[in-house]
Amino acid sequence: MSKSISTAVRSVVLRSMLLLAVFILRQEMARGDELAEKMEKWKKTYVEKILPIMEARCVGCHRGDKIEGEFDLAKYADPQTAVEAGDAWERVAKRIRLNEMPPQGSPGLNDEQKGHFHRWVDSRPNRDLCNQLASEETQSWYQGTVMSRRLTQTEYRNAILDLTGRRLDPNEEPPSDGAGGEGFDTVGDALFTSTIHLESYLTSADRVVEAACSTFPNPLISTEVVEDIASARSIVSQFARRAWRRPVTLEELDRLMSLCEKSMEQGVELSRAIRQSLKGVLVSPHFLFVVEVEPEASGVQRLSPHQLATRLALLIWSSVPDEELLQLADSSSIYDEVVLRAQVRRMIADPRSRAIGENFGLQWLGLRGFAQVKPDESIFPEYQPELAADLREEAILYVSEIFRKDRPLTELISSNSVYINGRLASFYGLDLPQDAPWQSVAVSDGKRGGVITMASVLTSSSYPRRTSPVLRGRWILDELLGSPVPPPPPNVPALEESSHNDANQTMRQRLEIHRQKAECASCHDRMDPLGFGLENYDGIGRWRDSENGLAIDSAGKLPSGDQFSGPTELKSVLMNRRAEFQQHFIRKLLGFALGRSLNKFDACIVETCMKKLNENEMRSQILLEEIALSYPFQHRYRQPIGSKNETSE
Amino acid sequence: MIDPMNMPQRPSRRQVLRGCGVALALPWMPSAISTSLRADDQATKSSDGSSVGKPPVRSAFIYFPNGVWGKSWTPDSSGTDYTLSPSLQPIADVKNDVLVLTGLDKKNSHGGDGHYAKTANFLTGMPVTKTTGKNISSGGISVDQLMAQHTSQYTPLPSLELGTEPVISGIDSNVGYTRLYGSHISWQSPTRPVAKEINPRLVYERLFGGRFSGKSQKSEGYQNLLDFVLDDAHRLRGRLGRDDQFKMDEYLDSVRAVEKRIEFASQPKPRDWQPNAQAAEIQPQRLGMPADFREHITIMMDLMVLAFQTDSTRVASMMFANDVSGRNFSFLEGVTASHHELSHHEGKDTKIEQYQKINRWHVEQFANMLKKLKSIPEGDGNLLDNCMILFGSSISDGNGHDPDNLPILLGGRGGKTIESGKHIASEGNVPLCNLYVSMLDRMGVSVEQFGDSERRLF
Repeated sequence: MSKSISTAVRSVVLRSMLLLAVFILRQEMARGDELAEKMEKWKKTYVEKILPIMEARCVGCHRGDKIEGEFDLAKYADPQTAVEAGDAWERVAKRIRLNEMPPQGSPGLNDEQKGHFHRWVDSRPNRDLCNQLASEETQSWYQGTVMSRRLTQTEYRNAILDLTGRRLDPNEEPPSDGAGGEGFDTVGDALFTSTIHLESYLTSADRVVEAACSTFPNPLISTEVVEDIASARSIVSQFARRAWRRPVTLEELDRLMSLCEKSMEQGVELSRAIRQSLKGVLVSPHFLFVVEVEPEASGVQRLSPHQLATRLALLIWSSVPDEELLQLADSSSIYDEVVLRAQVRRMIADPRSRAIGENFGLQWLGLRGFAQVKPDESIFPEYQPELAADLREEAILYVSEIFRKDRPLTELISSNSVYINGRLASFYGLDLPQDAPWQSVAVSDGKRGGVITMASVLTSSSYPRRTSPVLRGRWILDELLGSPVPPPPPNVPALEESSHNDANQTMRQRLEIHRQKAECASCHDRMDPLGFGLENYDGIGRWRDSENGLAIDSAGKLPSGDQFSGPTELKSVLMNRRAEFQQHFIRKLLGFALGRSLNKFDACIVETCMKKLNENEMRSQILLEEIALSYPFQHRYRQPIGSKNETSE
Repeated sequence: MIDPMNMPQRPSRRQVLRGCGVALALPWMPSAISTSLRADDQATKSSDGSSVGKPPVRSAFIYFPNGVWGKSWTPDSSGTDYTLSPSLQPIADVKNDVLVLTGLDKKNSHGGDGHYAKTANFLTGMPVTKTTGKNISSGGISVDQLMAQHTSQYTPLPSLELGTEPVISGIDSNVGYTRLYGSHISWQSPTRPVAKEINPRLVYERLFGGRFSGKSQKSEGYQNLLDFVLDDAHRLRGRLGRDDQFKMDEYLDSVRAVEKRIEFASQPKPRDWQPNAQAAEIQPQRLGMPADFREHITIMMDLMVLAFQTDSTRVASMMFANDVSGRNFSFLEGVTASHHELSHHEGKDTKIEQYQKINRWHVEQFANMLKKLKSIPEGDGNLLDNCMILFGSSISDGNGHDPDNLPILLGGRGGKTIESGKHIASEGNVPLCNLYVSMLDRMGVSVEQFGDSERRLF
């Protein structure tokens, strides 16, 4: 009897669950139908209005053997391919709006054609992608999988410092990392482990543990007082918890302690043998890898609270979580929105948030390899290692202080203050005692304030012996506005830019001649004027009013019609394009946080961030909060164990 | 265990290596040397007790960025009595030990944009996957790594991968490649680049520091740690998805590689020959990160010579600089701009002249290394007789970025099996990989085909 009752109950439960599932499915389908209808309409407009415009004005350059800018329109003859291209059209619309396309020298679009195009792009049907990572039907093309990865060189260095109080000797550091995704080293696909990594991990663990245990009078890890195995276990367990960023299981602790025991068997006393276990913690993949294992289930999973704490610490500190974060993870309260927001703010206030500038900032600004930039000593004898280090530090502080002081994001483009020390003050011609420490200093003349007028950026976008308006313009488009310029097509005579004074023409004149060719103009009309606006800065970023006795002409005119002269006006032109900058910056920050390329699902996070930023007077901290709260930051698509990964094939 | 970094400034026993332009010296390391000697003792016992076996062949692959100006590079005539071109003048003293190889091609780089797709496959010859991160691939294992797989059983280190600059950061969003492609020529597998060491001190420690060799409490401690983490990684691996497992495999392989080293030191495989272990000293003050690029190159090449001389490894790769290097070469008389900038010479005489000076400087460094190798006696000849030092770039003329008619030199006689002293001018898109197959032969790695090879070059 009882058996049949329970069966009946089960069948009722099952049936109602099934009904619920069908209901949800129907809703999804209804939403899907609606979307499909809108897409059909959008496609029809494409065929009727847009395709003819492109046939008339664009395919001359964008089809056939000689495809300009990698944008091949041949495939968009098929309307289905065209409507699926999605975001590509936003980029096209932007180029048309800025009058950059079609380029000067080619027949342009009339107002009616422009109107059709922009109306069509703006009417693109929207889908709600905010709270999705991937679903059954989307995972085949979804590329948002984040893999387990090892710590980057920077994260490893910071984590060792936080755990042991010891700074790695630069000679001990593991090799440098490359980058992937949106251009950052946090991308697991681009992080590899070679033998020399492991050799470095082993020797570093050895040295930092020995040093940390024998610092007198106050060892950072107090092992001298260890009296019995029980207290040794507790020390190892606490250390492993911090380093592995989660509670350690009993079995794991036993295995760690076996290292200590082996040492003791060889006659080493307990207080020293325990060091072997501590070293084991630091060479283990549980420390070296950001491992995101889930018990059994596959599919989209929320991160465990400890994994979330780790992602957060890597984002803001480029290091491991501290005790407070671990406790919030232990209690799962880190999931709480209010708690999480408060933690983001606490972490930004902590000195470790300097990492935002040093890790994210330098990579975004293209300054990771700044030490490799070597201006010519004979022309710039002032450029010494000490100055180079100051310039790098300025860039780090500038970016991290925007977040630490919760300043408007737009101050990255233009602001009335700079971070300098005494030496940089005299380099920039500002008033500070020679030995003054790093501080915020107000500036009013517009010559400094903002990343494009930092000497580090100006130097790295120059040649060793002279400036390059082209490289500087390219830098602004690529790194600041997210509007990259394709490389020159092969075998087109390159730009005559060799030197300022080896001909009767100025470089500006030579560039003007060059730009009369349409194939050159399409890019150089965008780059060169921006670079001209910075000609008041020499090859190492110092201010100058003249060069070789000739007054500097820092005027520029963009295809959009925007005109300016000098850095102040250039910055206000860029401020007018701040929406582009913000969007690009958010994409970069999100790409850094997620450790992968962004995809169409992420567009919604970018939009949310833009909205929140506007609601908060552009104040920057909100960005890190929103990213930390976002669905892709807190979730992970997990493949079934050992399965084939279709998404990456 | 003696820590080489804490050794007295003036080592007690030293023997300066003759014939090296600079004082090439290394502290007499009991661990490093005695290891080799122990191996040889056994070898002697196992053979007839008197004869010393035939020295092995070693290979190095040295890459320089940004190509060359072909008109000053390619000699006018081919064969044995060719005249050295202006860029090749520096090899005059070792002309008979060098093969000048022109007309070699890398067809799988024709589709790639700019630089990156041409550098990553310099030693693989296969197509490079266009990606900003996902599915990074150089198309195949690189020739040096394939050699190392076969020779690693005989030496403490399977191979050396050297450079002078950190990996290039960032991606090139225009051409859609991650820039790390421009920083790696050695690939352990198509999807796994080998990190290169740029710090001479660490290279030295790997070779002679004795950290992972010799029977000591320290190396036993390391061994225990490695056993522990190997176990950790195995357990973890089973709980990961497939892509993540690949990442854990890299870690596992690295752990095993270090283990092998420790094992090698305690149970040396008998070698049937005796390396010339009277290997000199290196001045400790030279071992920091050199501020001067020329010094950096010299010491890295000296370390390669030392590694080969002591039979610490039989395979090495080295990148003079990463691709697209903008290094300032104004230390050369008459050069007033950076390398990459001058390589885009636009056909202008003033720039070509400077570009050619930079090319020539590179050849000079190569010639210096050959001279050092030649000054070291080995077997019934010299070390150079038993080497194959490939020197080249992954593009021809820097202005056009073409991956054909590559500038390639091969120094040494590969165990006296190569008739050097010639200019071999290939015609009709001959794959560079044909040369690699010929080199693999001489390393005792018998393959019919490698990369895009069609036959043997010689």
